[in-house]
Amino acid sequence: MSLVAYRDLIGVAYTEEEVKAMAAEVEVEDGPNDEGEMYTRPGKPSDHFPSPYPNEQAARFANGGAYPPDLSLITKARHNGQNYVFALLTGYRDPPAGVSVREGLHYNPYFPGGAIAMPKMLMDGGVEYEDGVPATETQMAKDVVTFLSWAAEPEMEERKLMGFKVIFVLTLALIQAGYYKRWKWAPVKSRRVIVDVIN
Amino acid sequence: MRTFSLNRSDDGEVVDPRARLDEISKAKCVKQLMSYQACVKRIEGDETGHKHCTGQYFDYWACIDKHVAPRLFKWTK
Repeated sequence: MSLVAYRDLIGVAYTEEEVKAMAAEVEVEDGPNDEGEMYTRPGKPSDHFPSPYPNEQAARFANGGAYPPDLSLITKARHNGQNYVFALLTGYRDPPAGVSVREGLHYNPYFPGGAIAMPKMLMDGGVEYEDGVPATETQMAKDVVTFLSWAAEPEMEERKLMGFKVIFVLTLALIQAGYYKRWKWAPVKSRRVIVDVIN
Repeated sequence: MRTFSLNRSDDGEVVDPRARLDEISKAKCVKQLMSYQACVKRIEGDETGHKHCTGQYFDYWACIDKHVAPRLFKWTK
């Protein structure tokens, strides 16, 4: 999630104080100080979500050779992304007859190739919801997908509202322009040209 | 108010609605299920390791998904 910053959550899911507290829980490495050394400091809202692994090799090592993709844009980066991620998270099943996946991989029919490195992560009752909603796999997967869709397109609602306004105004402008053109052309279109003898 | 819940089992344990919905949808996908089972039987004795039933498996689960999908989100918040 390296493209999402803590401050993006302000006003969406948390208040400013909660976001500051969340960011401060993390240690961030910051640029050279006056002595030329890198130092660590507690996080600020302007920092992006920290990556759990320092580099790609560490990520591959911790995940059996597979590199977990950055999820900031995943719902936009996969065809039919929202449905795809939901199906992937809830779709771990036994493989069909005749198919076996090697040790360390798991079968998931929604993943291209069928063999995914990530094990099934969502289990019923895995999380306590504050408002007492039953924490089924389906519910948790839906919430994960909602969050990832927001992370990929935080401006989506505003963009669509703006889109409706623009289309509406342009439609009015189109009607007005059409009427004006027809009005201006009326004399030309309604003139009569008479061919007659000179006498 | 619903008198039955697919979210919780009889003793209040949290249970995934998909389990029950898959069962209900099986009735609509009998043809694909039979086709898959026929395939499994056909490759039972196979030793080459190249035969598999992925096609029938996908047909069956696509049919189940098609019936479960419109009903699933009734059981989430």
